[in-house]
Amino acid sequence: MSLAVQVVFTGLSAGGVYGLIAIGHSLIYRLTGIVHFALGDLIGLGAFVTLLVAAGTQPLTQETVSGGRMTLAIVAGIVACVLVGAAGYFAVVQPYIGRSAIGWVAATLALGFAIRAVLDAAFSRPAYVFPDPIPFRRVGNDGLVKILGAQIHVRSFAVIGIAIVVAAAASWVLQRTWFGRSLRAIADDPDGAAIVGISVERTRALAFGLAGGVAALAVVVAAPGTPFETGSGALLGLKGLVAAVLVRFGGVWAAFAAGLALGVVEAALGTGLLGHLPGLASYRELIPLLVAIVLLAARPLRLREAVD
Amino acid sequence: MSTPAAAAVRTGVALREALASARESWTDTATAGCAVAVAAALAPFIFGGLIATDSLASGAYLALAATGLGLCVGLAGVPSLAQGAFVGTGAFAAAHVLRHTQLPAELCALIGAIAAAGLGTAAGFAVRSLDAVRVAVGTWLLSWLFALALGALPWLSGGAQGLVVPTRRLFGFSPTPLVHYELAVILTGLCALSLVALRRGPFGLDLAAAARHRGAAAALGVPMERLRVGAFAASAFVGGLAGGFAVQLDIVADPTAYGPLLSFELLVAVLVGGAAAALGPSAGVVVLGLIALAARALGSLAGVPSSRFQPMLEALLLLAVLTTGGNALVPAAIASARRLLPERRRQSRSAVHAPGRREALRADELSKRFGTVTAVDGVSLELTPGSITALVGPNGSGKTTILRLLAGALPPDRGHINLGAHELTAASPAERVRLGLVRTLQARAYFGELTVLEHALVGVNRTRRHGGAVRALVSTPLYRAENRLAEANAFAALEAVGLVGDADRPASELTGAGQQRLLIAAALATNPAVLLLDEPSAGAAPEDLERLTAILRRLKADGLAVLLVEHNLSLVRAVADEILELELGRVVRRGTNGRL
Repeated sequence: MSLAVQVVFTGLSAGGVYGLIAIGHSLIYRLTGIVHFALGDLIGLGAFVTLLVAAGTQPLTQETVSGGRMTLAIVAGIVACVLVGAAGYFAVVQPYIGRSAIGWVAATLALGFAIRAVLDAAFSRPAYVFPDPIPFRRVGNDGLVKILGAQIHVRSFAVIGIAIVVAAAASWVLQRTWFGRSLRAIADDPDGAAIVGISVERTRALAFGLAGGVAALAVVVAAPGTPFETGSGALLGLKGLVAAVLVRFGGVWAAFAAGLALGVVEAALGTGLLGHLPGLASYRELIPLLVAIVLLAARPLRLREAVD
Repeated sequence: MSTPAAAAVRTGVALREALASARESWTDTATAGCAVAVAAALAPFIFGGLIATDSLASGAYLALAATGLGLCVGLAGVPSLAQGAFVGTGAFAAAHVLRHTQLPAELCALIGAIAAAGLGTAAGFAVRSLDAVRVAVGTWLLSWLFALALGALPWLSGGAQGLVVPTRRLFGFSPTPLVHYELAVILTGLCALSLVALRRGPFGLDLAAAARHRGAAAALGVPMERLRVGAFAASAFVGGLAGGFAVQLDIVADPTAYGPLLSFELLVAVLVGGAAAALGPSAGVVVLGLIALAARALGSLAGVPSSRFQPMLEALLLLAVLTTGGNALVPAAIASARRLLPERRRQSRSAVHAPGRREALRADELSKRFGTVTAVDGVSLELTPGSITALVGPNGSGKTTILRLLAGALPPDRGHINLGAHELTAASPAERVRLGLVRTLQARAYFGELTVLEHALVGVNRTRRHGGAVRALVSTPLYRAENRLAEANAFAALEAVGLVGDADRPASELTGAGQQRLLIAAALATNPAVLLLDEPSAGAAPEDLERLTAILRRLKADGLAVLLVEHNLSLVRAVADEILELELGRVVRRGTNGRL
């Protein structure tokens, strides 16, 4: 029982981050018909800019950074994400929309590897420990609380809570605001949207930036739990992509739910399905990937009518 | 004469013919390719002091893997991001076999290649009918799956230290870096030659057509899914072979070396060097090598390992090549050389008609519903040899839906379709084309910059019996003989629509009406008994209409059964024998020409 509770909370807090990234992938795919292979690295960039502003590139000495500086750092990380994301849209995506797929695939990959190379050059140690934006250590028993016999990190609640709030905000923005309506109009019909006066390129670019920036926020909150590497962003981007593929680039809540489910499944597999099949533990990350590939392939073939 | 002697004479004749045809098709590009190969083979002796031979050998294996990827990206136009995983499969499979058996080194590499081809076949099968976006995502996930599997499964990868591989003699030589280098250069050369042979043959032409317009290729019966699986399998085989030999050069199979970064670097090599040219990927690898040198120089200036700069420089280079939108290295070089050299003229333009097929198409009580709308409601019709049946009616009356039901692009809800003695109701579009039922699509459904003759050849490919990829690779006598006939058949189809003079022009240069006629020619090239035409007069000027009328009359005289879906009633009146008028999916009037 306690192990199951442990799995659910660890899974949900990892899955909340996956879910936000999955929302980004879905949104971008629906807006432009492409998959942003650099999204994960963009999120990594946001996280490392936050680290740079909060603590520099040196090993972290103090447990927490002052609240003001941490807030500034998070804002800086998100702004960096939005700026690079939007610039990336104009540089590596927009020239290829509606043209050769090989163009944008290669260009977004190149952007991702370039970002990672910059991070590698600036942050040369194998892994970094992030400062805690909220002093969780002071809550409960050194940051842990006991629920149904399981030791749960207080941070997990914060990550899950922030993820849900951000997902709800994303859903609200898409449904209720002018910006969201513009996005949906572009997703339906870019030419029609342009005719009614929506600035298609600027709106898309902003969405590309926000898709990364919003996810970076969750990553920064979640990151202090584990060592963070320059390649961690790419891995998170992959998990988000897997979740988005599982729901076929569906809506905000579908993508978020898929992310949560992926987190819980990974956590459950990591414990060897709660100890019933211990051999499965090393397949924790492999099985969801394989399922995503199979699902992608098994997609019923709908030959586009446009072809005729 | 005894049988062995006769066989020897026949072999001699065949060899002489092969030589003659090789001489005939020898081009300046081939001379340039040979010069490059010789220079590559001599590289270690020239650059011996500058670059370590084992780095050169690694680079040459990378070139081999990239050339394999060129098959997928260049020939099939598919963004495969899993080549790194295929190379890794070859490397680890070969490493395991080397460690656990006493098999010779070459055989171990071959086993690695076969394992990779197995994975490639599975991957190709998974993405066989997906669009480019999903192919990219699927292969990207596969690339990660392989990398994460190596990290998570020590029994597969030997843990963090990897697998140490015993070294054995290679083709009788002691396995020095130089031997590895020369072997890699030879294999890359062979692979590039195969690429050229495949590209010129039916396999390459079909793939090129499918990459440029899926719908039009499907309408001509190109078996796209099979071709794509083949392209992935072959591409993975070559990658696996490179991995299987390279791991013996490295002496250790490193589980961190075959991740998404390798897939990306191979893609960079292919795109920078030129996906369409056989030597493009190799040229791209040379550029990557120069980048590695530059990264080392930069790294020593900044005092950090060069590995930090290399991916960044590669990414920047790729972005530069992509954003300039220009040709990649090798195609650009070929294009500028072509401008300097005199163009060769095609000599033979003889047209040979394939023996015609005469069969009637019968459709009984066809129905098709889309949701609550009945698009086609119990329509029966018969198309007889030597006659033209026209379908007329307002937009949305079901004309095109009927045509698509007949062609197999849509399954009917009810009803039967028969071509002569064959029941076609459940047959795929490709099968229908083979049996003699072909359709054209509406305007602009052509294969981009493929030439007019190549369009017709894609159609002729459906009638070929000795045009498989393996025959094309070894260029068997039957294959070469059939090539000549195929070209003559293609010219016959172009002749029927008056496009022989434009045979060597890209289809994109034709007028809209010219492209319409080209679509008819490509369909005729499949040697059909029944031809389904969808709005052939779309966008035609009055003089084009006259031409089209003459073409249709000639098809009728040749004994084809034609179904004409058409808005232009004057064209219908000029050529149709029978006219069916549709309204809301039903035939409301049916009459011979002049009585409707």
